[in-house]
Formats: sequence, C-alpha cells, structure tokens
Amino acid sequence: MVPEAVVARVLGMSRSAVTDATSNANVAAWDSLNHVSLILELETTYGVSFSAEETLSMIDVAAIKRVLRSHGASWEGA
Amino acid sequence: MTPTAIDALAARLLSSNDIAGVIEAASTEEGVAVVLEGLGVAVDRAPANAELLRAAATTAVRTGDHVRAHEFLNRLGRVEPRLATLQFVAATRRSLNTLGHPAIRISLLSSFTIDPLVPFVDLECRLLGLEPTIAVAPFNTWEREMLGQGSALERFSPQIVFLSAALEDLLPELAGPASAAELRDAGLAAVDRLVVAATRFTSWSPAILVVHGLHSVYRDPLGPAAARRGPSRAEMLYELNARLAEALRALPRAYVLDLQDVLTRRRGGQVDNPKLRHLAKMRLSEAVLDELARTYAQFVAPVAGRIRKCVVVDLDNTLWGGIVGEDGPHGIRLGDTAPGSEYREFQKYLLSLTRRGILLAINSKNNPADALEVIRSHEAMILREESFSAMRINWENKPSNMRAIAEELSLGLDSMVFVDDSENERAVMRQAIPEVLTVEMPRDPALYRETLERIPQLQALIVTDEDRSRTRQYVERREREQLRVSTQSVAEYLNSLGITIDTTPVSDKTLPRVHQLFQRTNQFNLTGRRYELGALTSRAGDDAWRIYTTQVSDRFGDHGLVATALVKVSPDTWVIENLVMSCRVIGYGVEDALLARLSADARSASATWLVGEFVPTLKNEPARGFYARHEFERDAPEGQSERWRRNVAEHAVQMPPWVTLRSGNGA
Repeated sequence: MVPEAVVARVLGMSRSAVTDATSNANVAAWDSLNHVSLILELETTYGVSFSAEETLSMIDVAAIKRVLRSHGASWEGA
Repeated sequence: MTPTAIDALAARLLSSNDIAGVIEAASTEEGVAVVLEGLGVAVDRAPANAELLRAAATTAVRTGDHVRAHEFLNRLGRVEPRLATLQFVAATRRSLNTLGHPAIRISLLSSFTIDPLVPFVDLECRLLGLEPTIAVAPFNTWEREMLGQGSALERFSPQIVFLSAALEDLLPELAGPASAAELRDAGLAAVDRLVVAATRFTSWSPAILVVHGLHSVYRDPLGPAAARRGPSRAEMLYELNARLAEALRALPRAYVLDLQDVLTRRRGGQVDNPKLRHLAKMRLSEAVLDELARTYAQFVAPVAGRIRKCVVVDLDNTLWGGIVGEDGPHGIRLGDTAPGSEYREFQKYLLSLTRRGILLAINSKNNPADALEVIRSHEAMILREESFSAMRINWENKPSNMRAIAEELSLGLDSMVFVDDSENERAVMRQAIPEVLTVEMPRDPALYRETLERIPQLQALIVTDEDRSRTRQYVERREREQLRVSTQSVAEYLNSLGITIDTTPVSDKTLPRVHQLFQRTNQFNLTGRRYELGALTSRAGDDAWRIYTTQVSDRFGDHGLVATALVKVSPDTWVIENLVMSCRVIGYGVEDALLARLSADARSASATWLVGEFVPTLKNEPARGFYARHEFERDAPEGQSERWRRNVAEHAVQMPPWVTLRSGNGA
C-alpha cells in the first residue's frame, strides 16, 4: 500500500486528493489524535518503528515518504 | 436484482485486489443498491475481512441505509481493533442517523491522554445497543472535577465515570532509583489522593465510579535482586492495589478495575508505547485499548440495565465433546484430559454463573434418555439436573424450545442467551428470535469459557443473597408446580402452600436488592420507572418517602425479597410511585398483601387517599388491572398513564386470606 493510501484512509480523504503537499497545516482532520493514529498505522503497514523526533517531523506526505525510505520501507509496485 | 447477480458480484468482490474498482464499475452498471447487497453477502462469507467491511459501511452510508451502516461499522470495529479503524468507525457514525437506542452518559477522567480510548468505548456501547455520550475531562483535571462544586463533570451528570490515573503520574519517583521500601510512604499517599477524590465524588454524584488499579511501566531498578533486598516493587504494587480496593469498597457505588488483569489479557502488542508515552502523554498503548474498553463494557452493561438472566445451552459438542446419540454415554469426550477437559472447564464456569443469579437451561436435540444418562451418571459432569432451571431435550426446533423455556421461567426472550456450537442452529435462532442474545461461539472448545466470561450482559455490579440462591428457588418452583397439579382448586393450592409474608421498611442491607428489583423487573412493574442506586439511597433517608420490601417464604423454601414499593407520603395522600414484584411469585397474592399493608399504614398515618399509577410498557401487561381489581377508582384519563385512587380511611384493602404475616410486622 502506498503511503498516500494510508494517509487517505486515516484522515478520511479520497486517495486522489492526497499529494506530497498534503500536510497537517492544510487538512483539518489531521489533528494531534489523528497524527498518533497515522503514525501507528504507518508503523503497522510497513513494519517499522519511528523515533519521537521522526514522528514530530512527519507532518506532510513528502516528509512521511522521506522517513519511510530512510527505514528501508518500500511500496513501489505494491 | 437477482440472487445470482448478487452472488456473482460477491464472488468478484471476494477475489479482487481492487475492491474499490469493482464497486465503482458495478455501481454504474447495476446500481448501488445491488452493490450493497453484494457486499452484504461477501462480508458474511469473509467476516474477518476489514477492507470489505469498510467498503460495505461506506456503501451503506451512500445508499442511506443507516441501520446496516451501523451494523457494518460494529463488525469492522471488532475485526480490526486499531486506533485508526476505530476513529474511522466513530467519525463515519457521526454522519448517520441515530438508531433511537437508549442513551448512556459516560465520563472519562485521567492523569494522561485518554482520548484514544473514546472510540473503543463508543463501539462497546453500540454493541450493547446503547447510544453513548462520552465526555473526556481536560487533561489531568481529575482532582478538581471530582470535587463537584459546579465542575464540568457535575454539569454533565454522567451515569458512570471511569478514572484512570497512572502510577508514574501520581508518583514521579517511580522512574528513579528508589527501592520499594523507600517508595512505600509516597505510594500510600498516591493511593490516598485517589481515595480522597473518590470519597468527595461519591458524596455528591449518584454515578457509578470505576477507578483503574495501578501498574508500573518501569521494571524494578534492582532487577533480580529486588525481592531479596526487601519488598520488591511488585509487592508494593500488590499492597497499593489492595489498599485502593479496600478503600473503594467502603464507598457507595465505587469500584476498582483490575488494570493488571486487563494488561495480561490483551491480544498481542506492547502494554507500553514508550515513544507515545513521551510524545503524547499516552500511558496505555493501542494494543491495550480494545481489552480495556471491553472491560469498561462489563460495568456499563449493568448500569444501563443491559442484562440477561438465563443461559440456554446445547449439549453435544457444547457441554461435552461428541454426540451422545452416536458415541454413547461412555464415548463422549469429557474428563480431566484433552479432548474433554475443555468442556469441564466450561461447565465449571457455567456453574459459577448460577452462584450469582444467572439461570441455566438446556435446549438440545437428543433422545432424552441418552442425554439424561450423561447428566445424571457421567462421573466427569460438573453440571447436574439441579443446575438447570428448565430442560428441553427433544427433537423440536430450537426456537420453539427457547420460547417454551422462557415461558416456563417467566422470563422475556430478551433475558435469554443462547449457546450452541452449531453455526446452523445459531443462524436459525438469530433469524427466528432476534431478541435472544445468540453468542458467536468459537470452533475451539478451549475458548468456550473465555467467550462466556467476556459477555458484558452477564455481569452484575452487586450480587445479592437472592442471586446466590436463585437456581435453588427455581427447583423449588418445579416442586410447587407438582403440588398445584395434584390439588383440586386454586384456593386449596394457595392454602396448602403456607405462604408467609414479611413486609418491612428498606434497610442498608436490603437497598441493593431493592435497586436490583426495580432494575430487573419487567412484567409486574406498574410504571416501568427505574431508579439509580443513588436516588434510592437518598429517598430511603427522606421522610417524604417510604420504601417497602416484602420477603416471602412457603413450605418449599424461601423466595427471598421479591417485591418492593416506593411511596411518596403526604398528610392526606400516599402516592405509590412504583410497585414491582418478581415474576417468580406471580399468582400468590404477594402484591395484594403489599398493597394491603400500604393501605393499613396510610390509614394509621391518618391519610385518606392511596393513589397508584399504571403506565403501560412493552412488557407489563401482567400488572394491568391491578388497581381496578382492588376497587380503586380511576381519575380522568390523561394520555397513556392511568391514575387510580382509593379512600383507604373508609375502605381498607384486604389481606389475602391464605397469607400468614410474619409476627411483629403487621400494620
């Protein structure tokens, strides 16, 4: 599953509305509790564990992908 | 839309990697109503498929079928108990019409971030057929809120409050190097803070209060040496929790929730998520929330009156392994080793249910002689004939047997729980009698016991003497029935029973039973009004009210406290707010004796009028006509409710002649 799909599902958005620029500043549903949900879902989906610092930095989709790649997670072809 | 088209669509949905694509295409070609039917079939075939359930819920919302949307969301929450999923379930529900189920008001107070628990508790309430309003007090304001004095908690007036305070918040020294001995005084002071808040709270609120027990996220810093040096931190935790439980027991309506037990029972995942503990002030990880909310439901169900009174069990492959008609009484699996020990363990739990007032009954397709031989003579059986309040062992269909059992026990079908290993029998029961709670039993009998242990509707907050002896009372009832059949007339039967009645004012000791009678009684319930324990407690101490209790016994045994009346007294008029009587004693004149006593007491207090109301409910038909029978006069009709009065100064209500009053309590 691509990260955009996880973001769309957790925040209740349509998949096509999610881009690299989707961030907690421009999506009302992306509040602190949903941020926790999102982090937990990403950890479950990709089998990784983020540090507190990474968690705080993952406030837009581009950043989420960057951190996921740094953990060696991949979704191309998924 | 044809069944074949729906089946074909269901098959496509089940085999596709792109469910959204299939739905999209089918919506255009066959219409969204067909898609919803197809999804319904697909999720029944793959009940654990969260993606399908999510799609089904979304589609039901789109077609405006809100009842099914709620149903799919309930199933989705159970199948995938993760925070994001439960948030989706709760958010989707906010756009739906309510189902008109009873409301329940719940407050969560915490020393940490408890918000993630809210959608889990919401789900549990929905599964109980309740519509919850859940208020979360602002972070770490619990002590202030519990004082009352105009707090938001007081204004919200919850029916049940859960307080979760984490030990590391109450006792910051826990993270440091201190030994348990050094921490003991500060630990006791932490427990005191909880007890003081609980004491204040129960002094002003009629709500049930549930306080989390304490646990530690940290290991003992002394490691394996801890227990040799003196008391370990584990021992300290036992002591603190015992202290907390003891103090709460002394308060009215206060309960401790065994958090350590919840933590050990969670399915998979860590108890503590250190990152989120630091980052989000979460003290309980995602993995704990599902089990914790299910534990909350065990408190919520009895508070909301969502209780069941009788567990009706199948025999073959439910109480023992195998089929007695084929394997023979000695060929069935039942004993101390597996296969067979799982069933014994299950039977032991069923037996324990009878010790707190839940009745057992048998509904089995079998030759009665085969089944009875096992029940009477098999050396490994735990449950025997006297454990069952009713037995239907025959070749009838199970819904008819269920109806017969309910009638025999004078219970409503919505008091019954059905336990059967056969998926087919369960489907038949669900279809025929949806009011019965048909338990989704696991295939593995080793899981039978815990499946029953988790049912919130079988929980009680108080166990009374009546509960402990209820099964025996139903056995005595069978003996009475035999006497009734052998006597000539009703009058002769009633006289031969030797009924003795003892009517007294309520006491601290009988108040819980009075509360329970008002909560549980559906049939002989004149107004259907229910009272919370707090409301009854305050009326018991108020001169403007009287609460009467009636205990009944006869030559076969003791029925216990089976009737109660709440009466508002004023100089000229006594108004019976409600009078309820257990359906076990319908037909003995207990309600007449109680009314006669009220009449006599009103008269000796120089009142003229005894006034009673009848408010029809779905189930209180047996109580209709009560006042007319006693020659009360009806006031001018006013809507559904009837108001009746009798001048008791002139005409006292007569005591039934076959009743003996316990000496010293006549009016």
